[in-house]
Amino acid sequence: MPQMGVSIAEATVVEWKKQPGDQVEADEPLLEISTDKAESELPAPASGRLAEVVVEAGETVDVGTVLATIETAPAASERSAVAEEPSEPTAAEQPESAGEQHAATGGNGGAPPVTPVVRRMAEEHDLDLSHVEGSGRRGRVTKKDVMAYMRRQDEVEASPDRQPALHTESPYREEAASAPAAAAAQPGGRELSVMRKRIAEHMVRSLRTAAHCTTIVEADMTRIEAARGKRSYLPYVARATIDALREHPELNATLDGELLTVHEPVHLGIAVSLGEEGLIVPVIRNANELSHEGLAARIEDVAGRARNKQLSPDDVSGGTFTITNPGAFGALLATPIINQPQIAILDLEAVVKRPVVVTDAEGRDSIAIRPMAYLCMSWDHRALDGALAARFLSTLKRRIENWST
Amino acid sequence: MTTYDARQAPVEHKDGGRPAALTDDDRRALLRYLLLMRFTEERALSLYRQGKVPGSFYDGRGQEATAVGPAFALAPRDRACILHRDLGAHFVRGVTPGRVLAQMMGREGGVTGGKDANMHFADHRLGCVQMVSMLPDMALVACGLAIAFQIRRERRVAMTWFGDGATANGQWHEAMNVAGIRKLPVVFVLENNQWAYSTPNELEFAVDPVERAAAYGFPGEKVDGNDVEAVFRAAAAACERARGGGGPTLIEAETMRMHGHGAHDDMRYVPKEMFEEWEARDPVRRYEERLAGDGLDVESIRASVTKELDRATEWALDQPMPDPSVATAGVFAEADPELGDGEAPWSRWREQDV
Amino acid sequence: MSELTYLQAISDGLREEMRADDSVFCLGEDIGAFGGAFKVTEGFIEEFGADRVWDTPLAENAIIGTAVGAAVEGLRPVCEMQFADFISCGFDQLVNVAAKLHYRQGLSVPITVRLPSGGGFSGGPFHSQNPEAWFLQAPGLKVVAPSSAEDAKGLIAAAIRDPNPVLYMEHKHLYRRAKGEVREGRYETPLGKARLARAGEDLTVITYGAMVLTALEATEDLDGASIEVLDLRTLYPYDREAVLASVRKTSKVVLVQEATRSCGVAAEIAALIAEEAFEDLDGPVVRVTAPDVPIPFSPPLERAVLPQVEDVREACRELLAY
Repeated sequence: MPQMGVSIAEATVVEWKKQPGDQVEADEPLLEISTDKAESELPAPASGRLAEVVVEAGETVDVGTVLATIETAPAASERSAVAEEPSEPTAAEQPESAGEQHAATGGNGGAPPVTPVVRRMAEEHDLDLSHVEGSGRRGRVTKKDVMAYMRRQDEVEASPDRQPALHTESPYREEAASAPAAAAAQPGGRELSVMRKRIAEHMVRSLRTAAHCTTIVEADMTRIEAARGKRSYLPYVARATIDALREHPELNATLDGELLTVHEPVHLGIAVSLGEEGLIVPVIRNANELSHEGLAARIEDVAGRARNKQLSPDDVSGGTFTITNPGAFGALLATPIINQPQIAILDLEAVVKRPVVVTDAEGRDSIAIRPMAYLCMSWDHRALDGALAARFLSTLKRRIENWST
Repeated sequence: MTTYDARQAPVEHKDGGRPAALTDDDRRALLRYLLLMRFTEERALSLYRQGKVPGSFYDGRGQEATAVGPAFALAPRDRACILHRDLGAHFVRGVTPGRVLAQMMGREGGVTGGKDANMHFADHRLGCVQMVSMLPDMALVACGLAIAFQIRRERRVAMTWFGDGATANGQWHEAMNVAGIRKLPVVFVLENNQWAYSTPNELEFAVDPVERAAAYGFPGEKVDGNDVEAVFRAAAAACERARGGGGPTLIEAETMRMHGHGAHDDMRYVPKEMFEEWEARDPVRRYEERLAGDGLDVESIRASVTKELDRATEWALDQPMPDPSVATAGVFAEADPELGDGEAPWSRWREQDV
Repeated sequence: MSELTYLQAISDGLREEMRADDSVFCLGEDIGAFGGAFKVTEGFIEEFGADRVWDTPLAENAIIGTAVGAAVEGLRPVCEMQFADFISCGFDQLVNVAAKLHYRQGLSVPITVRLPSGGGFSGGPFHSQNPEAWFLQAPGLKVVAPSSAEDAKGLIAAAIRDPNPVLYMEHKHLYRRAKGEVREGRYETPLGKARLARAGEDLTVITYGAMVLTALEATEDLDGASIEVLDLRTLYPYDREAVLASVRKTSKVVLVQEATRSCGVAAEIAALIAEEAFEDLDGPVVRVTAPDVPIPFSPPLERAVLPQVEDVREACRELLAY
């Protein structure tokens, strides 16, 4: 298991793309893994025959754990273990901004502890704990995990050795009545996917952590409409947002407990929908240095990589402000959930033609039809108050309505 | 339904209420106990100076009469809470000097076998309950003993000793109060030896404690604490009163502590004249002189006590130190308490079937 | 069998002992004519007479001290402190005389001291304490704390029969809240033996007194987890074997006490577990206690201090997820 990011200590195998016995080519996608932050495809480090899969789908293991073995030379006993040394980036392309990689084999710096009872049981029963799936916090192997593992081993061992049947014993077994559904499982119920679970955990935590408020303004998109042609509204709004953040820098901040850090550069998170699977928020670093065209290009790039599962965990961390744009689907208003540890998130909803009151230069009012959009910003009342939120949105509205390329 | 253990019928005095008479044998016995206390404490002090006594050393030099006199009035089934300057009371009840010396030296064979120090001992088989350092806690315990006698309608007395300083303490007042409310058969012996460590009477109380008895509803009597027969008579009368249901008495026995609070105390705070005045009233020497004057053979008593002390010292020095395993033993009891009877050498107790 | 409240059970147990052995007698403030501040001795002076039910003066050292004297002379006194808090006024007699006498002199002191303890009804700092920890530090004393009506009766009888000084922590908040089937006649609940209030597999809550009810309520339906609740019943000497066996079984322990945090029963048992069951642990040993503050009076303040059902649930949840 490679180290997918600076702070990553473990990952979960989501799906094997090849079966034992299959031929694999070097760099061919071999399996999909998931960390706290992102899902990635791991390519095969060498060509050969996939001999053995060690870690099954669904198991979470520490960085450095052997996942599978590939036989590279047909007759030789040499094997090339997949992703053994994390110092070789055998994982999907490491992005530019990955930062240092630790040569960490499993079990240091953030790895979960082995409790006394687990250690004792492992000693007593001669178990290799790296084979035991951990269900505790941080993937810790709990006493129950060990007991369950041992029970499975017993079952595997128990099957052979049947005694010869006596005359009165017949192999006939009555069919068991179908077990009643467990109280919790509804017909058609299924467990959440790993990504869904991660999203669920993040959202619940965010709501528990931040004091969420949502402020809404509406903006006249006429000028952006004129400028954009076939392009999406998002890069324009993103640029306008960055400009608004320049005027109200306190919103470009992260809050960790009681420590508020206002950031200089704007690392802009853009929410990307992955369809039914979920969503992910890749970060465009130093977005403030980009024009709306540059932003458009970067947005397209990260969105594409997100959908192809080519993001690294470092691609999705370090954001200072997030924009989400589900407007394509036609909803008008929303109360988004803040992307921790940021203190605000902006939701650009659908642009809809509406009759509005316009005032001309002489102060005369009339009704006109304009493309309008609601900008909904959820913000953390721990870090700021409604007045600032409103002022920021006001600024943003002004920049949008006065857009000039 | 269980009843109490079969207890003997209360003692009926055939000549109830007569003054406490002392035969010559009684008087010899009194002198013997005075000398036992004096000589044992001198011997113990000597051992202390030789480094054989761990911890602190306390004696009651000069107070021998207040220790022996009241104890001598006790009947076998009476109970006593004896204090640290009343070694003579232990001897009257039946403790032997060898056990006392071994006790001081912390040895096996000592009354507590090393569990507690110096005068913090008592033999429950002889009807005595052991003191604690906090004073005058035992006054309340004595009241409790008296309550048992009262509930069971027994003609028995609980006797307790305490000093002048202890009368400043809340528990003294609680004891006096409870005794007065219930007219308990308890005798409070207040040994006013003029000093509570270095604190004189005038800093301990504003009112002579003997006068306080009236405030708690019973009589107080002041006696010359250095006259063993006077103290004895006051205590015997108090015991009679108590046995007859007359309630408690406070006896204030005036005496003087001739040594320091402990051997570590040089008594620099005591005016020299005080020493001289009280030295002249030494209770042991006075009684020796009185008995000699009445024609009793004092020398042989002295000689016999000296011999007894020699034997006792030798025996005590022979006792081993206790095994360390004793340290964690006996925190909890397995059986109910058994408080036995004391020797009660006063001749009166030989006159009836006790 | 009859259903009695905890209060009635104490009364019942005391009455049975007094009927069976006339050396048993009661002493305390207002226990005679008034029947006791909490009515535990209601009807006693009428049945047993003033000799055996003594309305003492307001003097806790006197209550304990005279009890010691009477006890060594063969009686079996049962002292009542009107509130457990007032034991501090009798502290000296309890820890210096009663506790140490057998060790030093070999003379046992069969006294029982009843201590109405605990908070939850705006009693304020002097009527709400759980002072048992002080007495775990006075070798020679035994301490018990029943949580059910059945044990309340059995433990008062056992305390009276025990030849040692026994402190009986009767929790005021259980007087009428705890009810149950109580056997008729005399019976004793053994000292030094815990009771499994509920058997479980996933985690053990070790507790005593009123907190047993809190723990049972908190863990009855907690995310489907199977939670064992061990009622210590005797706080000193406590049932080490039961504690260690439970830790071996579930490997996760939450200790709950209503008393303030530092150096209490929970701290003692946590230390025992760390020393003797280290290799059975699958998570840290956790305590739920009141913080180190005097118990405040106003209801929201008192609730913020005394452990509530939710506090126990939270602690169990955290540890289950470890």
